[in-house]
Amino acid sequence: MLEARKKHARFLFLFIFPAFIIYTVFMLLPILNSMKYSLYTGDGLIPTEFVGLDNYVRLFTEERYSVKFWNAFRNNIKFFVIVTLIQNVMGFFMAVMVSRSFKGNKFMRKLSFLPTTLSVLVVGYIFKLILNPYYGVFDKFLEMIGLESLILPWLGDPRTAIYVVAIAVSWQFFGESVLFYTSGIDGIPESIMEAARIDGASIWQEIYHIILPSVLPIVGIVTILIFIGDFTQFDIIFAMTGTRGDPGYSTDLFGSLFYRTAFASSERGGWGTGMGATVATMMFLIVTVGVGIFLYFFSKKREELEK
Amino acid sequence: MKKLLLAVLTMVMAANFAFAAGTQEINAAAESGDSDKVKLVFTSWRTEDIERMNRINDAFTKEYPNIEIDFQPVKDTEYDAQLKQSLAAGVGADIIFLRSYDSGYQIYKTGSLEVLNDKIMDLKGFPSAAIAAWSTPEMETYAIPSVGVVHGVYYRKSVFEKYGLSVPATWDEFMAVCETLKDGGETVFAQGTKDNWMLYEVMFAGLGANFYGGEEARQNLMNKDIRFTDAGFVEAMERMKDLQPYFPDRFEGIDYVTMQQIFGTGNAAMFMGGSWEIGIFEDLGGLEDVGYFAPPLKAKGDTLQYCFHVDAGIGMNKNTKYPDEALTYMKWLASPAYAQLMMDELPGFFGYTPGSYTLSNDLAKQMQSYVASSVPTVRTVWEKLSAESPSGNELVAEAIQKMYAGELTPEEACKYVDDGLAWYYR
Repeated sequence: MLEARKKHARFLFLFIFPAFIIYTVFMLLPILNSMKYSLYTGDGLIPTEFVGLDNYVRLFTEERYSVKFWNAFRNNIKFFVIVTLIQNVMGFFMAVMVSRSFKGNKFMRKLSFLPTTLSVLVVGYIFKLILNPYYGVFDKFLEMIGLESLILPWLGDPRTAIYVVAIAVSWQFFGESVLFYTSGIDGIPESIMEAARIDGASIWQEIYHIILPSVLPIVGIVTILIFIGDFTQFDIIFAMTGTRGDPGYSTDLFGSLFYRTAFASSERGGWGTGMGATVATMMFLIVTVGVGIFLYFFSKKREELEK
Repeated sequence: MKKLLLAVLTMVMAANFAFAAGTQEINAAAESGDSDKVKLVFTSWRTEDIERMNRINDAFTKEYPNIEIDFQPVKDTEYDAQLKQSLAAGVGADIIFLRSYDSGYQIYKTGSLEVLNDKIMDLKGFPSAAIAAWSTPEMETYAIPSVGVVHGVYYRKSVFEKYGLSVPATWDEFMAVCETLKDGGETVFAQGTKDNWMLYEVMFAGLGANFYGGEEARQNLMNKDIRFTDAGFVEAMERMKDLQPYFPDRFEGIDYVTMQQIFGTGNAAMFMGGSWEIGIFEDLGGLEDVGYFAPPLKAKGDTLQYCFHVDAGIGMNKNTKYPDEALTYMKWLASPAYAQLMMDELPGFFGYTPGSYTLSNDLAKQMQSYVASSVPTVRTVWEKLSAESPSGNELVAEAIQKMYAGELTPEEACKYVDDGLAWYYR
C-alpha cells in the first residue's frame, strides 16, 4: 500500500515538475523581482538606488501619483461590476436556455462561444471601427431605426467610454461563462429535474432551488476569473482607448496605468520602473486580497446552501 | 511505464539540445560566411518609412559596400519602452532615433549612447538650437540633429476656389474663412479630439504660438519668469476655443487616423497638421488639391512665430559590436548628401545639416518659404517642462481636451496646466 502510494507520488511529481519549473522561472521569480524593484529608484530600466518603502509612500501621498492610482482603482471597480453583470448574470440565463432541449440549442451553444476565440485586439479594433463617429455602422443603425437622438461620441465621451469598453469585453468572453455554466447544469442529474417538473415547479423555482445551488461553485469560479482578468486587463484598453485610457483617463485601468508608468518616457506619463513596479505590486496585492474575499464569500454561501 | 516515460522525456530533452545547437551552428555559419560584410541595425519610431529609408540606406551601401543597414522601426507608441528594454538587455540597435530634449536625455543617462563631440566634426556647423535639443547641460552632444517638422494648416484648393476664398494671413481672416465654409455647409476642419496629443503638439504649439508670444514666452516660461496662467497663454487657449464650432459632429470620438482620412479623401476643407503628413495625404488622395498656409497672425504686420519642432536626432549605441562601421555611417548621416536624400524621400521632414538643398515637393517648399520671415520656436512645454510626470506635454493636451468637452474654461484650462506643473516650481 505504502509502496504504491510512494510510486503514485513520484509519478505525480513527474507531471508537476515541468509546470513547476515554468511557473517558477516565468511567474514566481519575475513577481518577486518586480517586488524587489518596487523598493528601488533610478533612471534606467533597472532601478539601482535602494529607497525602502519610499515609492509606496509617494504613490499614496503625492497627489500626482495617488490621483491616477485611485482613478484607475475606481475605473476597475466600475469595469468589473459591468462585466460581472453582463457576463455572469446574462451568461447564466443563456446557459439555462441553451441547456433546455429545443431545436438549435447545440448551435446556440457553439455560436455563443465564437467571439471568445477571437483575439482581444481584433475585438477592440472592430468595436472601435463600429463606433467610429464618422464612418461607424452603429450610429448609422441608430439613425435608421429613428433613434438618432441617442447617438453619442461613444469612445470620446468620458461618461460613456468605460461602459462601451466593458461591454466589448463582456461580449467577447460571454461565451466562456456560458460554457462554464452549461457544463454545471449538464451535471445535474436529469431525475432531479424531472421530479421537480412532475411536482409542478416553474422554471423560476427550478432555477432558484435546483440549478443555482448546484452551479454556485461555478459562479464563484467565473466571478474570480472575471475579477483577475479585469484587474489585470490591458489589451482592450490598448486597442480601444490607448495606454492613457482616453478620454481624460476615464478608461485608465490598472493594466494600462502600470504599462504607462513603468515603461513610457516621463513626457508620456512614465514614472520610472521603480514606481511602475510599485504599481504592479499593489495590483498583485489587490488581486490577491480580492480573490481571498471572493473565495471566503462563496465557500460561506455554499455551506449555507448545503445546510 | 515509468521507464518509458523517462525514455520519452530524455529523448525530448536530447532533441531540444540538438536543435538548439543546430541553430547556433547555422548562425555562426551565417556570420563567418559574410565576415567582411557588416550589418548595422537602425531603429526608429517611423514604421511608415521602411521603404523610403531602405532606398536612402541603399545609397549609403553603394558608397560603402561592406556596410549594410538594417532599418527596424518600432511602433511609435511602443518605441520608448522597447528602446529602453533592448538597451538594458544589451541587444539594442547600433543606430538609434532619439526624441528631443528630456526623452532622449533619459536614454543618454542610461549610459548607452556615444558622445559625438570629438567624433563627428561636422556637428560644429549645425544650428546651435538644434544641437542643444540633444546635448547634456555640459554640452556633450549624443545625437545628430536629423529631422525638424513644422505645423500649420492644410486646405483643399478646390473648396477654397468654390467660395472664392484666399489664404488667410490673420486670425480674423481665418475665422471669416471658417464662417463662410460653415455657412456653405462644408465640414470646415477634419479635427477630432479623441487623440489629445494633436491638440497640443499641432494646434496649441503651432497655431497658439502667435498668441502666447512664441519663442520669447517659451523661454520665459522655462525660466519661471512667467506662468502658464499668464494672459498670453490664456489668449492662445481662447483662440483654440474659437475653433470648436467648426469641428465635425461628435468630434470627441474622432481619432487621429480618422481625421487624416476625412481630410485626405477630400471630405473636409481644412486640417491643422504637421509637415510629416504630406506623405500620408499623398497616399490617401494625391496632393494636387492640397494647399498649405502657416499659422495665422494675431494682427497684420506681426512676425510669425513658426513652430519648427526638433523632432528626431540620431544617436549611436556605445556598446555596438562594430564601432568603426557605425561611426562611418554616422558621419554619412551628418553629411549634406544624406540630408538631401532624406528630404527627397520624406517631404515634410526638414534636415538641419548645413548646406543648400532643393526641395522637390511643392507643399514642403511652401512650408519652408515662411521660415525666412519668421521667428522659429519649438513645442511650448517640450523642453524641461516635460522632464517629470505629469509632463507639460500631457497636461496641455489634457487641458485642451477637457476644454473642448466643456469641462474647463480657457482660464481654467491654463490653471489645470499650471497646477499640474507644481513639480517644476518646487
